[in-house]
Amino acid sequence: MTDDPAVIRGRASALLGAGRALRAASTAERAVWLAQAAADLRRSARQAVQELSDATGLSVPMVDWATRTTLDTIDERSLLDLATKACPRREQALAPISMLAVVLAGNVFTASARSIFVALLLGAPVLVKASSKELAFPAMTKDALRAASPALGTAMDTVTFRGGDVDCEAALVERAEAVSVYGSDDTVAAMASRVGPDSLIAHGHGVSVAYCGASAQSESQRSETIAGLSLDICAYDQRGCLSPQLVFVETSAKQSAEDFAFQLAEQGLAPMDRTLPRGPVPTSVGAEQAQWRGVAEVEGTLIRGRSYGIAVRSAESIRWSPGYRNVTVVPVRTIDEAFDAMTPMGASLKCVGADPASISEVRARLGESLALSAYSCPIGSMQTPALDAPADGFPIWHGLLSPQEAAPRRR
Amino acid sequence: MSRRNELKSRIEAIIERFDKGEQVDPAHRDELIEDLATWQACGIPEYGRLQRDDDWPAALPTDVFRFRRIAAHPVEEDVRVFLSSGTTSSERSVHAYRDLSLYDLAARAAARRMLFPDVGEIRLVVLAPHEGDAPESSLEYMLARFAQWFGTECTWAWRHGQLDLDRLTDALRRAESAGVPIALLGTSFAFVHAEDGLGPRRFALAPGSRVMQTGGYKGRSRAVDPEVLLEAIGHRYGIPAPFIINEFGATELSSQFYETTLRECIEGQPGPRRLWVPPWVRATPVDPDTLRPVAGETVGILRIDDTANLDSVCCIQTADLAKRVEDGIVVLGRAHGATPRGCSLAADQAMGAR
Repeated sequence: MTDDPAVIRGRASALLGAGRALRAASTAERAVWLAQAAADLRRSARQAVQELSDATGLSVPMVDWATRTTLDTIDERSLLDLATKACPRREQALAPISMLAVVLAGNVFTASARSIFVALLLGAPVLVKASSKELAFPAMTKDALRAASPALGTAMDTVTFRGGDVDCEAALVERAEAVSVYGSDDTVAAMASRVGPDSLIAHGHGVSVAYCGASAQSESQRSETIAGLSLDICAYDQRGCLSPQLVFVETSAKQSAEDFAFQLAEQGLAPMDRTLPRGPVPTSVGAEQAQWRGVAEVEGTLIRGRSYGIAVRSAESIRWSPGYRNVTVVPVRTIDEAFDAMTPMGASLKCVGADPASISEVRARLGESLALSAYSCPIGSMQTPALDAPADGFPIWHGLLSPQEAAPRRR
Repeated sequence: MSRRNELKSRIEAIIERFDKGEQVDPAHRDELIEDLATWQACGIPEYGRLQRDDDWPAALPTDVFRFRRIAAHPVEEDVRVFLSSGTTSSERSVHAYRDLSLYDLAARAAARRMLFPDVGEIRLVVLAPHEGDAPESSLEYMLARFAQWFGTECTWAWRHGQLDLDRLTDALRRAESAGVPIALLGTSFAFVHAEDGLGPRRFALAPGSRVMQTGGYKGRSRAVDPEVLLEAIGHRYGIPAPFIINEFGATELSSQFYETTLRECIEGQPGPRRLWVPPWVRATPVDPDTLRPVAGETVGILRIDDTANLDSVCCIQTADLAKRVEDGIVVLGRAHGATPRGCSLAADQAMGAR
């Protein structure tokens, strides 16, 4: 079922009205309600795990893992810490925008949580355009917010309509002060042309990579490295922009990239098929997968498992996979080689996961890079960003606050 | 006799037997596919690297033709190289031929069976460039052969890189006046351009006239739903729907499939619109994960084992979605862009920045 422009306008209008009640509460009150809503949402998602699995195409254990790891990051403490970072005490006060519109993609169903919770925490009501493929989780979120507090419940609403419906898109954004868009670059560009760059919070195309230095492959570290990498690759079936597509592996006389890839297959990805099984591959993705795997086999090394494929290729001949647990191991001699390969990815590179011994070096190089705006995190946590982790090179509250002369704020 | 020539003789024998109206035993075809694959795996290193399934020879993905030369012969022996459409080298498949005789044999036999079953020769109007203007196109090569084999006369309604609407109109009006049937042959996007350009001009072509359209749009015209285009073509030229058929071919293949409706209409045994697969070809929708045949009418990705691909690779894994319908197949289109990747990077975009 889809909504028409009149319905969308009505909901937007109601949200603008609800914003006043939301802002009348203190940040501390909102943090308590939101923490309660997150816990409630976790419970309802657990009860509806099969429904979510059917809607998202992820396996039941994967849905359970995704909701747990996303919602467990949302508690009163993390919310208050985030609010403090977003609104530090300073001369010029910041006020929440009047309303945020969010356009969700269908690939990572929990992606909506951070957008919605952070906006509400800061006092901005949220109108969510849900993906037509996945309506269940936004609806559960709305119910959980309503149960936690009427002020929260009335400050978030959902709409759905066919992508590209110009009239509905106009109705969605015309009263929003900012529009957060997840999706393809085409989707982002279409929305940018409608709202202008200043009001757009763009989350377009992106990829992520991992870096494993030599010490991460040592006898003592290898198991941990492989376990972390496998989780990063398998989470959300490698459908999102934080999923590593490439794993740069520092090779040596003792450890070849092929050896590492075989270990990743046998000790990491194969066992994952039991603990966090992959969902069914849509036929259209399967067609791309067959091409990608075949080319990898012809041009290099391919390790094929029941639910995964690992290509070993040089940095000069990388070919992006369609996701769904098809990953490329790229041998490099030094971290310089890895960054030479990453630099052309520019702003499309979202996250670099790194082993503990390499992460400070990776972080420093990302900080120095003029081309890259990715953030870094330890291997094993690429798919579980903290509530306050940056997004697309900006703080998660980017665009949700605007300067005001003497905005009344209660804390 | 060399192994290659022995295999070539066997392929020719199957096609010629079919062309004479004799039955072709699928077991003979399958045996030939096995032998071809074994020989090709030895002579083409890229193909030899693919692991074969227990029961089936490995199928080479069509994408490999974009990145590697796939041929069992050295480049000096090429007599023709066909390229797929596209704007950059990495988008274009390359299929090198040492010998076009099998291609010709297969193309002629298939067209005679499905496109011209009721006529030896017919007036042709082609909505595509002449072979001389597009020597790298396998379609244009095939259409030029059709002009030689089946054409009483042939009008190429294409000039200076675009459809020549005046020449097209003239050829159609002449056929109308003479009351002789014609065959209109061209790409789907050319037919869309004709729809857009001909305006109110409509034609009442003689009974027996037919249309063969092929290929997708690839950004060369607005995309039109196939059902809508079928209806528009029928209305524009006065040709009944069964006589408007699709041809399915690809740069990586040497054989073509045709929709069944024209032949079945002539035979008085209409059936569902589907692609006929020549008996020297095995077309199988396969599961994308296991690459094993799917059951019944389940949608899979189309594997094509084309025995006329002698000097390249016979067993090809396409990216087309397809399903079986009765004794034929229906191709549901290319899978590209269908991936619900949300914020994941489109491959070519990222690599384009390198």
